[in-house]
Amino acid sequence: MSEVAATPSNHQSETFSARVLRQTIASNGARFGLAWIGLVTLCAVFAPLLANSHPLLMRVGGNWSSPLLEHLTWIDTTLLAAFFVGLGLWMQRRRLSGSRALLLMMVLVTIAGSISYATVSPPVAVVLDQYRTGLADGSIEEAIFVPIAYSPTDRSRDNPLSLTAPDRLHLMGTDEDGADVFSRMIHACRIALGIGLVATGIALAIGILYGGIMGFFTGWIEILMMRFLEIFESIPQLFLLLTVVAFFGRNIYLIMAVIGLTSWPGYARYLRAEFLKLRRQDFVQAAQASGLPIFSILFRHMLPNGVAPLLVAASFGIASAILAEAVLSFLGLGVVDEPSWGGMLNQAVGPGGTFAVWLATYPGLAIFLTVFAYNLIGEALRDAIDPHLQRPVS
Amino acid sequence: MTQYIVRRLLLMLPTLAGITVLVFAVMAMAPGGIGANLMTRGGDMRPEERAAMVAYLNKRYGLDQPMATQYLRWLNNVLPIGYETGPDGSRGKFGFKPPDLGMSFVKNRPVLDLIAEALPITLLLNALTIPLIFAGSILMGVYTARFRGQALDIGIGTANLALWSIPTIWMGVMLIGFLASEQYLKWFPTTGLESLRADSWTFLPSRTETGWQIGYLLDLLWHLVLPVFCLTYSGFAFLTKLTRSAVLENLLSDYARTARAKGVSEQVVLWRHVFRNSLLPLITVAASILPGLLVGSVIVETIFSIDGMGRLAVEAVQMRDREVVLSITLVTGILTLVSYLLVDICYALADPRVSYE
Amino acid sequence: MSLLSVKNLSTRFTTEHGAVDAVRDVSFEIQPGETFCLVGESGSGKSVTGLSLMRLLSQSTASHPAGQALLNSPRLQSGAVDLLRQDETAIARIRGARISMIFQEPMTALNPVMTIAEQIMEPLMMHLSMDETAARARALELLEQVHMPDPATRLKEYPHRLSGGQRQRVMIAIAMACEPDLMIADEPTTALDVTIQAQILELMAELQARRNTAMLFITHDLSVVAQIADHIAVMQQGRIVESGSRDQVLYRPQHAYTRQLLAALPSRLKRRTAAHHVDSGDTVVNIENLKVYFPVRRGVLQRHVDDVKAVDDVSLAIRRGRVLALVGESGSGKTTLGRALLRLVPSTAGRVSFRDQNLLSLSARAMQPFRSALQIIFQDPQSSLNPRLSIATTLTEPMAVHGIGANQSERLQKAGDLLLRVGLEPEMLRRFPHEFSGGQRQRIGIARALALGPEFIVCDEVTSALDVSVQARILALLDELRSEMNLTYLFITHNIDVVRYFADEVAVMYQGRIVEHGPVVQVCDHPNHPYTRKLLAAVPRFD
Repeated sequence: MSEVAATPSNHQSETFSARVLRQTIASNGARFGLAWIGLVTLCAVFAPLLANSHPLLMRVGGNWSSPLLEHLTWIDTTLLAAFFVGLGLWMQRRRLSGSRALLLMMVLVTIAGSISYATVSPPVAVVLDQYRTGLADGSIEEAIFVPIAYSPTDRSRDNPLSLTAPDRLHLMGTDEDGADVFSRMIHACRIALGIGLVATGIALAIGILYGGIMGFFTGWIEILMMRFLEIFESIPQLFLLLTVVAFFGRNIYLIMAVIGLTSWPGYARYLRAEFLKLRRQDFVQAAQASGLPIFSILFRHMLPNGVAPLLVAASFGIASAILAEAVLSFLGLGVVDEPSWGGMLNQAVGPGGTFAVWLATYPGLAIFLTVFAYNLIGEALRDAIDPHLQRPVS
Repeated sequence: MTQYIVRRLLLMLPTLAGITVLVFAVMAMAPGGIGANLMTRGGDMRPEERAAMVAYLNKRYGLDQPMATQYLRWLNNVLPIGYETGPDGSRGKFGFKPPDLGMSFVKNRPVLDLIAEALPITLLLNALTIPLIFAGSILMGVYTARFRGQALDIGIGTANLALWSIPTIWMGVMLIGFLASEQYLKWFPTTGLESLRADSWTFLPSRTETGWQIGYLLDLLWHLVLPVFCLTYSGFAFLTKLTRSAVLENLLSDYARTARAKGVSEQVVLWRHVFRNSLLPLITVAASILPGLLVGSVIVETIFSIDGMGRLAVEAVQMRDREVVLSITLVTGILTLVSYLLVDICYALADPRVSYE
Repeated sequence: MSLLSVKNLSTRFTTEHGAVDAVRDVSFEIQPGETFCLVGESGSGKSVTGLSLMRLLSQSTASHPAGQALLNSPRLQSGAVDLLRQDETAIARIRGARISMIFQEPMTALNPVMTIAEQIMEPLMMHLSMDETAARARALELLEQVHMPDPATRLKEYPHRLSGGQRQRVMIAIAMACEPDLMIADEPTTALDVTIQAQILELMAELQARRNTAMLFITHDLSVVAQIADHIAVMQQGRIVESGSRDQVLYRPQHAYTRQLLAALPSRLKRRTAAHHVDSGDTVVNIENLKVYFPVRRGVLQRHVDDVKAVDDVSLAIRRGRVLALVGESGSGKTTLGRALLRLVPSTAGRVSFRDQNLLSLSARAMQPFRSALQIIFQDPQSSLNPRLSIATTLTEPMAVHGIGANQSERLQKAGDLLLRVGLEPEMLRRFPHEFSGGQRQRIGIARALALGPEFIVCDEVTSALDVSVQARILALLDELRSEMNLTYLFITHNIDVVRYFADEVAVMYQGRIVEHGPVVQVCDHPNHPYTRKLLAAVPRFD
């Protein structure tokens, strides 16, 4: 016998999503996590404007130019555009619904990306040292640099500069090749976030589609799909990653794809379990009894109610994708030339037993904090979605 | 139950086939293929020797044949029943035969030998890790369950999560850097599982003319401390959290209330009634941390230069040593699926409600 | 000298939202050997009172700011003890030995990983210091006393192998093991079928008489109270509003609330209209030889070895404007039948005729236009509304699909009118399900069913999850709507009193088959089939 207490009628109507969002953000852990990820995102987006060997402004022979802007790649411009589009949409959030905003964002970013790809073409041959030599011999009259005046690929030709401890010039020291660690740390944010989000996005998309279909059908289709899923689940992710990278080359898109393709079974299982539970719920049966189209039943009635545990899993999934990439780079099989935290960590312990503390601490801390941040957010989401009801009885 | 086990074992076959086909296909579709690599290896052989080797390998493994045929040949060699292959690559008679895992292209040794050397080491690491994780997390989980609702509670939960979030690569590097290097504390050795000349020592500590000798066993354990720690801390953090929430949930259950109504003291409710029920989710989850242990092995063995299966795998992949890669895939696949099966059986034994009919 | 003397008992819960006084100033006395019933609806504080006496409430949230509960047991050496002021060790010695308690949900009350024997032996070995052999023998004896079939085998089994009724018997055996002076029973039969309930009540009376055990019986069901009580106390919002002997409270109630509860009893309700004569009127839905079988698969290849016959060859003709009650206990197949009519569950064979069409043979597309004419209202208010959608969307979406109303604002207008008709406010449209009480959600469910203008509605245990007073109002509403809109109901229920009040015809279902069918007065007063007789005999009689 239950007579659920009614909330007073002056209570502000709150949708489920709004409540979950509010409770998640209220948790301290989630706040820390979001703050750190915000920082990482800013670094990823503004990386070329934070750490670059090209000066922002340069005066040669009386003429001002901006080598930094000239040398931006299409990825740089797309990321910057995406950031400002996102900011703009966030400020307009009252007027737009969640899904509409997301759609608009995707469309605008794709357009920005295509335009960038077509138009932006930085010069190919680059000598990063020229500005320092130019300033030294006077051919460059004046140059204004960004806060960290080193690109991640600015490797010094002088050997003594490699593996130096942190000092005034290089706030976090240099690595094996003499490149500035701080600069590489900032640029590595891109790889980390990029792989985390894209790989998880792929896995979620496949998982939701697969799990939804499995949860809806019964009979031999379901059994077959289940077997296929079990096979995919048994594939050892790291091993496949290593194999693919070793045999096909170290391509970032390939890495994202492989991580995505080995992570989707978890999401499919979750969604299937939720769908099986939901199919029996009375409101789904009511929707069927009212003759609502199957599309509406799946996407309007079942999916929004079943997607919650998936979001929790996705948060942990992003953390795990970032870790997978870090391990790959650590083993020397990561993306070529782009800096990565895992790769930097690998250089910390030298063959002779030498230990470069700065190369172990900063990149390691960065990986840890990012993984920790996503885990905290995942936990907070989980607590918000399924609060453990406080029963008054012991 | 036997029917269930048989069904599971039978189902393992298509899964293993699927995995090996996938790995084989990836290697086969790689630019340059496998044959190309052969030419760049064995650089210390004289040209005639190399040519003879190449011809021999080509004949024996049919490297000049289509990919599907190559896979089937490999499958045939690996299975305990099939066609025997003569030394010149010709097909022999059909029947029972010892599985032939092939020859490492790079090291020029039978793959079976390589695996036979590397597997016990990885198994040793995991044999120590798994009991430590479970024993530790059960005790810790039950112990921290009593702090429910207090300020310490949130601290413990966050500490657990933080511990779980520490990447193994970072933990390993930091441990070596601070505890095993010249610059800081040299409490532990950096590489390998035994000191030099340790295999000539006695097993237990003993006294010799030159003084006290710690013996092989203690030396081994000393070398194992850091690697095993790296393998355990993550699983420990995860399972502690799980145990704790399972215990808390069970303490609030109806049957615990019935026990209290019978006059059972809170301590006894915890250990006689709730404890066994709380172990059940642990067993279910045990299956999912096993892949994590495999990955952990790869990292730890690389960092600490231990010659186990993980290191073998990484080297083989980097060198494109096809036979070794396939065999490792097969062996780890079998081990993983068998352990899943064992976990399911354990669960069926622990929970009387579950029966596989 | 009373066995238990409760004076000014108060229980307060402190949560992060503030303090709640669940029990306020409650006083009563229980004499040795008598049956004292504590009656109330949900939220009245009756369960909390029972748990407070046993001190089973969590110490971190619950406290007893005032009051005392004196237990004067002949078996206690120290004389009268105040249960509320004992320390943990002392109260643990009393629990299970001098006072025992059984709970409502038998399915979760036993430890799933311990055998029945272990669970019965535990209090014996703990309180009576018996050794294992003696305890096992006594456990067997106890199972025999509770009339457990095949007790020796049952001892070795685990709880999941027993049915709900059997598990409750085990609970009673555990509770009686140490021969307590008082047994507290918190809604022990609410989750059981009515025939099992009758058996359990009989058993409890028998055991009480054996050792002169007093019983504090907590329930919401006044008919049960009428059958077993010596003294009654009625609780509302944490206070006792009326108490006295059985006859006093039931036949000469003083307090308005008591009178309200009694008036809401289905057996006391007067029918609004006389039961219709069965043979007149046309047939709206004709069910012919309906079979719904669920396959059972076994073996390595999951072969189809047997069937669970949920609905086994059922034929019924439902006439327009009538209420046909479908009665049965759990597992009878009545819910499956209701859902099969609307094709929410696939049928195996048979024919369901509506408007000269066989609904079961239509394609999903062809079925679409019939959907608006056949609707269903569900039992559980918690899960019958989509928590993510506002009430407005829940009501207007089906309308849009069936082309009712030219545009959204018209539909919203209609939805508002529907809410008014079921006794709610139109401004509730923009709210979400979690903001409403159970009774209100049932009304919304009714509004949803009416939204498409149906002819026939399946009411699947629509009042079983509601308090008795709310139930009466919902039934009255349904009756009004029926005469207003000329609706036909298939009313699925297990409550015979509701059937007498509400239905015109009744069909009794047992293990998938209809065993008896006829006008309600005939079947209820002169049942033919032995199962019907057994069912009717088991219903707790008020007078």
